[in-house]
Amino acid sequence: MKFINLLTHLFVPHVSNNQKAKILHPSSLSLIVVFLIAFQIVLSFTHGTFPRVLGYAASIPPSEVIRLTNAQRVANGLPALSENSTLDSAALAKGNDMLAKGYWAHFAPDGTSPWSFFTSLGYKYRYAGENLARDFSDPTSVVSAWMNSPSHRENILNPNYGEIGVGVIEGILSGADTTIIVQFFGLPLSGAPSVPIAKANEVSTVVAVSSPLPTPGVAASSFISPFQTTKGLSLGVTGLLLLVLSVDLIVVRRRRIARIGGRTLAHLAYLGMILAVILILKAGQII
Amino acid sequence: MKKFVKDLSHYLSLFGILLAGFAGFILFSYDKNFQMSVALATAGAYVAWGIVHHAIHNDLYLETIIEYVAIAILGSVIIFSLIIRS
Repeated sequence: MKFINLLTHLFVPHVSNNQKAKILHPSSLSLIVVFLIAFQIVLSFTHGTFPRVLGYAASIPPSEVIRLTNAQRVANGLPALSENSTLDSAALAKGNDMLAKGYWAHFAPDGTSPWSFFTSLGYKYRYAGENLARDFSDPTSVVSAWMNSPSHRENILNPNYGEIGVGVIEGILSGADTTIIVQFFGLPLSGAPSVPIAKANEVSTVVAVSSPLPTPGVAASSFISPFQTTKGLSLGVTGLLLLVLSVDLIVVRRRRIARIGGRTLAHLAYLGMILAVILILKAGQII
Repeated sequence: MKKFVKDLSHYLSLFGILLAGFAGFILFSYDKNFQMSVALATAGAYVAWGIVHHAIHNDLYLETIIEYVAIAILGSVIIFSLIIRS
């Protein structure tokens, strides 16, 4: 009986809670906010201390990234790029360099440029470009994220490129397991028309996280994704509040309760939007 | 229901604000900083809507403003934590 009274007090308008579910009182909402912030602090601590527990791993076949990239080019009336094994190796070397030096950028902290990976492996380019991505669960999400970003899309649909190389590497970056995807574009100097050598193309990067899907090769399930954990908690909190607000709306109407406070319908609409955003948020950080 | 119809213009403007915020998230999915700005702007607009709406109805009290602010902060914290983690 006490338990039922407690539930009523927390979730249903009642005399005990001044005709408004206790969880909807500003003091309770503030407590939820404090809890959510504390949860993020704990998550960050766990992330840093136990990278093998909270992290991200996925298997992304480079050939599939290339196939999807070419599909986008063909769909936009451009010729498909041919895979170049030197560019593949250069992309892999770039990924390894990022993990070894612990950076997530086009240029290494020591000034190493993306283009040095082209030339160090003997790939002399007339045009060159780079797209980076990390923490995606599947190749489709990677290419979709790139296509949604104007600068990366420009790289993918650049008619100056003739070849492509993709490197996918997994390792620990900033204390967490990460899957890095490096996409290199190029047009070799030898294959170019006899015009002056051009500068390398502008580079751009996409960082994204999306829901982990079971992928072959790597046991993605052995990790707890910080993003998915946060998303689950956010869905739970927002869903609970929406439910309580719906009950509140019905009970207050039926009992014709007059009280001082915000409009329940407005709160429902705002939290409904928050719920919609939680559901669509899955990828994309651009640097 | 009567009250909702009476305040239809108020609620339509609120739905417009929220829809614009949601559209911002979809359209700028590649720009996390912009998404954070959209979350803040939407939360601010929501609080402003609440203040204006209650002021028109002559039932604007400090408790009411605090309630809108608390829900706006909660929504912003949820979105921010997700954007940071993604």
